[in-house]
Amino acid sequence: MSARDAILGRLKGIAPDAAQAAALLVAPERPAVDEAALEAEFLARLALPSVSASHDAIDSMADLPAAIRRYLDAQGEDRTLCLPPDPRLAYCDWSGFTLHDVAAPAEVAALAIARRGIAETGSLVFETGPAAPMLPNFLALHHIVLLATRDIAPYLEDAPLPGAQPRAHYWITGVSGTTDIEGTYVQGAHGPRFLHVILLRA
Amino acid sequence: MSGFDTRAAAALADPLLKTAVERTAGTAEAKRTLAVSAFPDFDAARTRAAAIKDHVIAHLGHYLEQFEANAIAAGAQVHWAATADEACRIVIDLCKASGAKTVARSKSMLGEEIGLPHALAEAGIGRIETDLAEHIIQLADERPSHIIWPAMHKTREQVSALFKAKHRTPHEEDSIAAMAESARRELRDRMLGADVGISGANFLIADSGAVCTVTNEGNAELSLVPPRVHIVTAGIEKIVPSMPHAVHMLRMLARSATGAALTQYTTFYTGPKRPSDPDGPEEMHIVLVDNGRTKMREEGLADMLRCIRCGACMNHCVVFRQIGGHAYGGTYPGPMGAVLTPALDGLAPNRDLVHACTLNGKCQEVCPVRIPLPTLLRGWREKSWREGLEPTSMRMGLGLWAWVARRPALYRLVTRLALRAMRLMGRRGWIETLPLAGGWTRHRAMPRPAASSFMAQYRKERRP
Repeated sequence: MSARDAILGRLKGIAPDAAQAAALLVAPERPAVDEAALEAEFLARLALPSVSASHDAIDSMADLPAAIRRYLDAQGEDRTLCLPPDPRLAYCDWSGFTLHDVAAPAEVAALAIARRGIAETGSLVFETGPAAPMLPNFLALHHIVLLATRDIAPYLEDAPLPGAQPRAHYWITGVSGTTDIEGTYVQGAHGPRFLHVILLRA
Repeated sequence: MSGFDTRAAAALADPLLKTAVERTAGTAEAKRTLAVSAFPDFDAARTRAAAIKDHVIAHLGHYLEQFEANAIAAGAQVHWAATADEACRIVIDLCKASGAKTVARSKSMLGEEIGLPHALAEAGIGRIETDLAEHIIQLADERPSHIIWPAMHKTREQVSALFKAKHRTPHEEDSIAAMAESARRELRDRMLGADVGISGANFLIADSGAVCTVTNEGNAELSLVPPRVHIVTAGIEKIVPSMPHAVHMLRMLARSATGAALTQYTTFYTGPKRPSDPDGPEEMHIVLVDNGRTKMREEGLADMLRCIRCGACMNHCVVFRQIGGHAYGGTYPGPMGAVLTPALDGLAPNRDLVHACTLNGKCQEVCPVRIPLPTLLRGWREKSWREGLEPTSMRMGLGLWAWVARRPALYRLVTRLALRAMRLMGRRGWIETLPLAGGWTRHRAMPRPAASSFMAQYRKERRP
């Protein structure tokens, strides 16, 4: 008998009623979010020490390169950027930037477009796809994220996106950190040490 | 002395261990308290979390089959292992089939439970532990002492010395930030060059076939995206019906473990790289491991299968805080370890563990899935008694007491004599040595008892 049959053989039982599983999710306990002020709620969570992301805001996609320039200049970094192959970015004027689309092992800055922002936790929701590689978002020292304010949702339950499940669906809530030495919190463990969110208010 | 006694004595004698454990567990306790008080009705949320897990465990076969079908549909390959050895063999065969020389591992307690580090070493496959704490203990050639902070037993001074001895370009400044930076330098290129990435799973999502991992360091993603093959080893109890169920469990897990609202990185992997994806592994394998879990479900330990490995029980345990995790001897320390280890490795060699508990109930109070740990420990104690595993002195002592207790007149006489003797011994108000209880009085004195027993006084007072 295979291990599969042996294990499942011992776990035989009646199939659960789907309503029973759904009933477990009625009115879940969760932090209160003011749904009338999602942007403010989201930004308040972003600023928490546990998330420690900075932010900026722009009114149109055309303003994106200038916002990134402002950030990199303020950080004292070169205007070198790992850019995902997203068609929406092709219309921006990237003059003055050195761009590439494959992240280096010691990548300084990478841009990504978040699919959602979650006000409850200040999380950014990403999904992999042809125009959305995953690795640059973990290799870069500065992770720069574009998020449209209309994509901010109240709760983590709102994170799943419609359509087919991508290879990876992931939430980023702050910078890479560790408390592995004496419980002391240190930022920039293996991944990004800085997270900068650019809100697109259009 | 038993193995546990020896290890506990060594732990108590270690001048640095208590400092190290206290620094991390103390911080974790304080942060959890803050997080729980800021959460609306954490107690109701615990009840819900327990109900979700109970529902899954009651219908485990159904959800496993659903998960398997969805994972396969997404392109993953699903393997089943009844035992730890079987699980290791599957992983090693997969590594060999892909020609792997090195694997990057993202911290997984199940990997420790099945002995994967040892199996990889035996197969001559290089292992890169990517979680900072696991990296520390790999360099020190030690075992994890906590399920969330495996290097909890090490002070910053010890870590600093270790990195200076082993890293290629170690830190100069002696700060924790500089040490973390040293590990980042040491691990980044090695992680990216691994042939296979191995992870555990915090949750398996039945209705999508997704595997969820959580980390604060981002090491899981850096270990699992670049290699050609991703292997997941997961206990069969990690299933939840859907992502919203996982959301509730994630809220509980992060707050209970580190006091955060959520971990920094929460990723749901569904199958391997799609043809048009720019990155990701070409193969994804999921090894579903039983290793005693179906037996636990059948033999009265189903409650323990609710465990989500947050570590809150050990952070709040008075015994763990004194002796740290290594003294427990198994993969899992603290209260949850004292319940799990006898189930995984047998009761006879672990009889002492189920007694290493004051039954103060703190673990149960903080458990996010309401596992009745003290009750389960008492269950093991009773089993140990029934199976004759308790030492002769204990059996004879209790036997003698039971014999006397069934003879009230004799019991009263013995009590009276004992009280008289104890009052003689405690003439100065305290009893400093007591026959047969030297271990107890070595560290504290016992108060002198009252002149007569409670029952004697009660009878006297009741008379008009």
